[in-house]
This record gives sequence, C-alpha cells and structure tokens, in this order.
Amino acid sequence: MAKARAIVKRRKSVQNIRKITRTMELIASARFRKALQRAVEAEAFTRKIAEIVGDLGGAATEVSHPLLEVREPVRRARLVVITSNRGLAGGYNGNVFRAGARRYQENTTDGIGTLIDVVGKRGVGFMKFRGYPMSNVFLQFDDRPTYEQVNELATEYERQYVAGEIDRLDVAYTRFITAARQEATVTSLLPMRAASLAESGPSLARAKGGGGGSAAAAPQRRGEPASYEFYPDRRSILDELVPISFRVQLFKCFLDAAVSEQIARMVAMKGATENADEMIRSLTLQYNRARQSQITRELAEIIGGSAALE
Amino acid sequence: MATGEMIAEGPLRCQVVTPERVVIDERVDFVAVPLDDGELGVLPGRAPLVGRLGFGELRSRSHRGEERHFVDGGFVQVRDDVVTVLTSRAVAVTDLDLESARAELARARALPGATADQLREKSRALARARAMVRAAERVA
Repeated sequence: MAKARAIVKRRKSVQNIRKITRTMELIASARFRKALQRAVEAEAFTRKIAEIVGDLGGAATEVSHPLLEVREPVRRARLVVITSNRGLAGGYNGNVFRAGARRYQENTTDGIGTLIDVVGKRGVGFMKFRGYPMSNVFLQFDDRPTYEQVNELATEYERQYVAGEIDRLDVAYTRFITAARQEATVTSLLPMRAASLAESGPSLARAKGGGGGSAAAAPQRRGEPASYEFYPDRRSILDELVPISFRVQLFKCFLDAAVSEQIARMVAMKGATENADEMIRSLTLQYNRARQSQITRELAEIIGGSAALE
Repeated sequence: MATGEMIAEGPLRCQVVTPERVVIDERVDFVAVPLDDGELGVLPGRAPLVGRLGFGELRSRSHRGEERHFVDGGFVQVRDDVVTVLTSRAVAVTDLDLESARAELARARALPGATADQLREKSRALARARAMVRAAERVA
C-alpha cells in the first residue's frame, strides 16, 4: 500500500494549498473592491479642480509657476518606483520594476543622473538583487495609501524641484484602466504640463459598473458659463492650484497602484487555485489506479499461492 | 434629489471635497468660508465666485443647527447655490485636539526663518497652527 499512501499524502497537501490560495483570492477581491471605492471617491476632487481651472479661463495656459518650468537639458532626475509590500501578486511587481529599470537605463544613456526612490518591499528586493542604487526607500504605504502620507512625499519632491536639485520627476507605477486591464507605465509628473491641470482623467466609475457613488461631484453645468468673481484674483488662485494638482496626481498614482495590486493578486491566486484543482484531480486518478493495481496484484498472489498448493 | 426636498432642506448645497473623498454633501441655509484674507458668508442667490481659502473654520447653518469644520487651505467655488469647498483636510471642530494643536504651534514657532523661503514656510505653518488652536479653544 506504500505507493497509494504516498499519493494520498501529496493530495492532502495540495488540498491545503488550495484552501490557502482560495482564501487569498477572496481577500484580494474584497480589498480590490475597497481600493476601487477609494479611487472612485478620490475622483471627485480631481474633477472639481479641473472644473475650477476651466472657470479660470485662458489664464490657466499662460500661467508661470516653478513647477511648470521646463528645464533643458535635463541633468538630474528622480524616479519613483511604486511596488507592493507583499508578494504573490503574479507579474505585478516585476512589470513595474521592468518599466522603471528601462527608464533608468534610458536616462543613463542620455547622461541624466537618476536617483531611484522605491516604494514597497518587493521593489527593494528587486533593486538589491539587480544591483541598482536606491536613494530612498518608503515602506509605509500599504493597500490604503492616505493623502497625508503622499502629501509628505510630494512636498519634498516639490522642494527639490523648485530648488533645482532635480530637473524631472518620473513615476513608475501600474495604471488602472479597467478591472480587466492594468498597465505598468512610467509618467513624468514634474515639470507639470499646463494642459494637465484641466484634465480630470478618465472616469473610474464606469469600470465599477455604474455604481459611482460620486453623484456629489457630477458636473452641474447649467446654461451659459457663469462669470465669476475671484478672491483675491486669478493669479493667486492658480499659484495655489498648481502644487495641489501635482499632489493629487501623485496621490492618484498611489491609488491606481493599490487597486492594480489587488487585481493582480486576485488573478494570480485564481490561477493558483485552478492549478491546485487540476492537480488534485490527477492525483486522485493516480491514487485510484495505484489502489486498483495493488488489489489486482494481491489477487494474483492469492490465486498463485492456492494454485501452488493443489 | 427631489425639488420638494430642496425647499424643505435649505436652499444652499454645501459640499466639502478632500483628495480622498467627499466629506460633506448636505443642504444648508448659510455657509461661511474662511478665505485667505477673512471670512466670507454665502447666502442663497450669491453671485458665482472662485476663492482661495486660508486656514480656519467653515461654518454652516441649517435646521440641524450650526456645524463647524476646520479646513486646511484650498479653494471654494460658488455657483447656482452650490458651495464647493476643495481642501486637503476637513475635520469637525469637535474632533480637534487642543493639546496637539498647541504642540503644532510650538513646532511652527521653532521653525528656522533665516531665508525668504523659510520665512514664508514658517509664517504659513504659524497661520495654520494658530487657526487650529483658535478653533479648538472655542470648543474646549
């Protein structure tokens, strides 16, 4: 019975693994819903900011602000790579890392000194393994990045940019497009493009199946555009608006990354559960065969033994 | 949002939006927002305006009584009797902690003020901490 018992043991351990991956899949899908909810709620702010920029009229495109100032040639850049703290998320971290590494190599060929800031333990592991230098490591972001945390980071980047310590800020992260499509990309947040102020970005609400819950921010355009009074004046409002818009853009990167991470984990764990199912099936088949052949062998022995006695 | 409800619930709609979520969305009779250079009261029928906020209290009055929130800079937009406040943080005044507000003020006082940039940073931090202490003291 030796072989059959070994198979039973293996099947049991596969069954246990299946339980774990199945649970992780369920947890990831619950977290995904929460993260998406947060991302959708956060959209109200972006949309309103874009609306105010629209209200300011043409002033938005001719504004000059240190954060909008394009410096050529770019000599120093900073690259923020947003990965997760936890693994078992399929290709999620690897993809972001590859996108970031590609940008780093491009920068190096172009003679741009690049400092890498890494968010998430996984990214740190990758960087260490591949021998990339890291200037800062942030591990405080989990699956619920708060605006306050991102704000701290943004304030520091803003200071560096204004002081001329960096000429460009790139962020490598996973952009959330729809629940079925996420994409590891690198975008430049600084210098900001004046046009990006007026963009509110694609709506996530439809990805959620219409349950937006952000009716509060629905555009309330009625009739012809209102003529606004400005307190104190357009200029000073724009001066304040540009840095906030930068912060919100960085915050959105973090929110997107958090949503994408959960989706990636969900998909990876679904795959793992299905593989375990298949393995359990084939092990059961093997076990049945082994048991059957054992019975046949025993029968043959008994018959053989009784034949010898005659 | 039925029309009947609008009349019963107060003529103004007050929304407070932070980068994370919509904190408040309710119908009120009157809103006072802390602009950069002083408070601005908004009654129904106010002409459209866009303003820059300072640090201070956002007061709203409705049939439920008066509500106060501390807002952390940002913008206000008024149009068609909808008051939208965009701010990085909005907390109910009752949730403010006087002790930590005072600590904040002490920290702001200790900031260096040697260069023009530092001085600007410091006066901003001071204004913010003072506004927070003021708001918290009024409740305490």
